[in-house]
Formats: sequence, structure tokens, C-alpha cells
Amino acid sequence: MTHLGERISALIDGELTGAELDRANAHLAACERCRAEAAEMRQLKRALRALFEVDDNDELTRRLLGDAGPGGPVPSYQDRREQYRRDQGKGLRDKRPRGRGGRGDGDATRSRARYVVWSAVSLFVVGIGAAAFSMGGGGGAPAPKITPQLEMFSVEHAIVSGTVPEQDQATAGTSVTRP
Amino acid sequence: MLAMPALRRPGLLISAALAITVPGVLAIVALLGPEHTATRATAFASAGAGEAATGGGELYDYAETAQDGMGIQLLGESAAAGLAVSYQGVELLAQSGVAGQDTIVSNVWHSGGVTITQTSDAAMATGTQPYVSYDVDNRSPEGVFGVTKTLVSLLGQHYVAVYQGTGSAVGRPALVVELHRADGSLAARFWLDRQTMVPLRREVFDTSARVISEEAFVQVQFGTLTKLPGPTAASAASAKASAKASAGATAATPSGSGWSAVTAPAQLLADLNKQGWRLPVSLPGGLPLYSAARSTTTAGQVLDLGYSDGLSVVSLFVQRGTLAQRPAGWQQVSLPGHQVYVAGHSIIWAGDGFVYTMLADAPPVVVTQVVASLPQNTAPGFFDRIMRGFHRLAAVANPFH
Repeated sequence: MTHLGERISALIDGELTGAELDRANAHLAACERCRAEAAEMRQLKRALRALFEVDDNDELTRRLLGDAGPGGPVPSYQDRREQYRRDQGKGLRDKRPRGRGGRGDGDATRSRARYVVWSAVSLFVVGIGAAAFSMGGGGGAPAPKITPQLEMFSVEHAIVSGTVPEQDQATAGTSVTRP
Repeated sequence: MLAMPALRRPGLLISAALAITVPGVLAIVALLGPEHTATRATAFASAGAGEAATGGGELYDYAETAQDGMGIQLLGESAAAGLAVSYQGVELLAQSGVAGQDTIVSNVWHSGGVTITQTSDAAMATGTQPYVSYDVDNRSPEGVFGVTKTLVSLLGQHYVAVYQGTGSAVGRPALVVELHRADGSLAARFWLDRQTMVPLRREVFDTSARVISEEAFVQVQFGTLTKLPGPTAASAASAKASAKASAGATAATPSGSGWSAVTAPAQLLADLNKQGWRLPVSLPGGLPLYSAARSTTTAGQVLDLGYSDGLSVVSLFVQRGTLAQRPAGWQQVSLPGHQVYVAGHSIIWAGDGFVYTMLADAPPVVVTQVVASLPQNTAPGFFDRIMRGFHRLAAVANPFH
């Protein structure tokens, strides 16, 4: 004779229907052990339900219970299975290898291409700017060092301006500047 | 019928009459004006020679004195006399510059196209050096105290020359000519020797009527000259005879050696500016370009640009390159935007790949403006440097360049 086992919980929760419910009730009528187990289960569930009775004035308790989800503090068997299936499916999808064909693969490729293009443009602009800055400095080609021919210039100026040529102080010391 | 509304409004009628009459009267006055001023100018010219000169104080009309032309005519005669007449003497020059006042005393000897000057310290008699001014082309100063033919022609374009009568300078009778600006302020006063027409004295005033330059003979002798001054005589005579100045000069580089005048200065500037030079066609202070010459040295081409309004003269010598070293004995002076070296009325600085040597007989404020208007050596700003770099990059990458 096979006992009800885990089906006792489903029976008490009213989750069995049809022929399965009839077979469970028939077994329960004939098996004292399962009846006792079912009675204990009912009593246990009743006690647990009494623990979670919510006082209307206890706002904090009601909010915490509300956060526990629609199934209450202990989700039902079916809810647990549904949650398990969802978790399994998500895990498989996350672990699926990425390639060219998938939808996620396309997003990643486009993102990487944008990154490469922007990097190349930035490098080009910075490089051109640095080259321009480097080439813009200095005076270009090396320039000759000039020592002005002061006496020659002074005499030329004196000729065209009709004045006395002024001598270079370094060579003659004949011009005095008084601030 | 149409006139009735106007007659009913006498104010409107009077206004219309005035609007027609006043411009008509003004037009008649304007037409009669020239004859009137010409009459007065003739009277002034006939009476001018006998008047007292300086500080005469007679009010005059600038239009009539310009028509008179006697002042400019006298200055023109003086420019010619400065070349033709032999003279020797001692000149005093006191000039305000950007670094203070500069005073020099020179012994001058001029005869037969040769001019010798021996310049001395005005404060100390010792330390004089001989100085010969001539060149292989037998060029000499083209006048005395800035009175040259070229400058006198420029004076006529920028100033009103007024003959003010007679006076005296260095103990000699003189004719006095004043230059006035367009606003009527006094710009300069000349004393011209009445016998020879050689300039004896010149005073230059700024716009505040302060004397900024004074040049005068403190001793002068005209006619047959007794002797040449000092040891330069032999070298000067030798140079005159052989037309090879450099061989006999004791202390000076022959002037004008290798200088060749440019017949079209403006065209030369345009050509050189296309090659990266930055040469202005005029300088601040109303100084247009009036002459240009070029020479070649071991360091390359030298350009001599002359700017003048007839009274202020700026010679700008431009060479491509950088300043080799700070000129010994020159004073470093900060002018707006420039660090320059100054000695007397000479200024040297480097800017943008060129070395500028400027000799200026001009008011200090004008000199400062001129220096500020020319290129200087400063680090370019970030964007200027970037843009210059882009231009150079484009020039390198240009396949048609």
C-alpha cells in the first residue's frame, strides 16, 4: 500500500482535483497513518496561520507581509515550481554563448563599433591639434644672427635727414643720455 | 487760392523765406571768399619783410599764408644753400627721446660736397672721436638741421610755412620761418642766415607747445675755410680725391656703402610683404613712406625705409634674422609691447623673425607709437599658435604649392 506522502499537503491545501482527489480521499479513509499525518498537517498549518494573523492596527506587520509576495510568507508548491522554472530559464539564457546570430550579439557589436569610431576620431583630432601646435611654435627656419651695422645706419639716416650722424656709444661714447 | 492758407500763417511764410535766403547768402559769401583772402595775402606778402619776427603776434589766416608760399620758398632756398655754401662751425643738438634727453655737440666742416662731423659729449670735453660722414658715391648730408629739398617738399604737404620776419641767431641776422599744423599750433621755427640762407637754428615743438628738439650753430663761419678739423682732414681729403672712403676713414664706416635707392618704394613693400616681411606704408603720427633703399651685407639684405612728414624723420632699417646679442652700452627700455635697446635717438629690437633698427628725429610719443605698431617678439597665444600651425600644415599638404 502506497501512502499519500507529499500529496497530503496538496490535499489539505485543496490543490488536488478529480480522480486524484478521489483516490486520496479513499486512501485517507482506509489508512489511519495518513489520517493522523493529515490531521497533524492541518493543525500545523492552522497554527502557522494564527501566527500571521494581522492586527489592523499593526501597519508595520502588514507592510512586511505585503512585501513577502502574493503567496504569503511560504509560497505554495505551484508558485515555487513556477518560480523555479523562471529562474532556470533565465539562467540558461544568461549562460547561452553570444554569437553573430543572437539579438544581444548585435547590440554588443554596435556598441563596440561606436567605441572604436569615437576613439579613432578623438585620436585623429588630438593628433592634428598637437601637430598644429607643434608646427605653430618657433620662428620657422633658423634665422641668421644679426648685429646691426649701427654706424652705417646712422650715417645713412644723417644723409637723408640732413642731420649730424649720431655715433654708437659702444665704439665712440660720444652721445650722452640724461634721463 | 493756393496761397491763401500760407498767408493765413505768417510764421510758415517767414520760415520758408529764411530757408531760401540763408543758404543763398552763404553761397555768395563762399564765392566771394577767395578773392577777398587773396587780396589780404598780397598785402601780407608786401609788408612781411619789414616786420619784427619772433613773437610778432599778428593774427593771420592760414589759407592766405599758404597761398603766399613765401615760407616754403625760403626753406627751399635754404635747402639748396645748405649744399652749396661752404661753412664750418660747432653745432649743438638737444633732443628729447624715449629714454630721456640726448645732447651732443659736433664740429662740422662742409665744403665742395664733403661734410665732416666730429661729435663730442656735451657734458665732457674729453673722449671725442673723429667721425667722417661721406661715402663712395660722394654723398653728403643733404642739408642742415633737417632742411633738405625732399623734406621741404614734404613740409609743404603737411604744414603751413609762415615767414615771420627777421631775427637773429648766433649773432647773425636771420629770416624767421614758422611751421604750423592744420589746427594752427606751432610745430617748428627756423632761423635762416640772411646772407647765405643756411639754417642757423631750428626748434621743434610738440602739440603742447613744448620744445622737444633744438638744433643750433653755437659758432659758424661761412666762405673760405681755413682748415679741416682734427686728424680726420687727411683721411677726408684722401677719400674725396680717390672716392674710396673706406680706405682713409679713421673711425667710421663709409655711409651709403652699397645702398641703392628704390624707385618704387610702395611696390617694393608690397612684394616683400608677400614674402613674409611686415613693412608698413605709413607710420603712426602721420608719417608716410617717402624713400627706400636696400643694401646687402654678410647677414643678408638690409632695407632702409624713410618715413617723414617733412619735420619728423624716421629711418627704419629691417633685416631678416634675430638679434645676435644685446648692444653693449645701450639702455634696455620697456615700451608698450616691446623690450627695446635705446641709445640717443636709435632704437633696436627684434620681432617676428626680423631685426629692426630705428633712428628717429621725432617726438617721443610718436616714437613710442611707431615702435608699438611694428612686430615684436612675443610668444603667440594658444589659438594663434594652433592657427599658424594649421596654415603651415596646409602649406605642406597643398599639392599645388
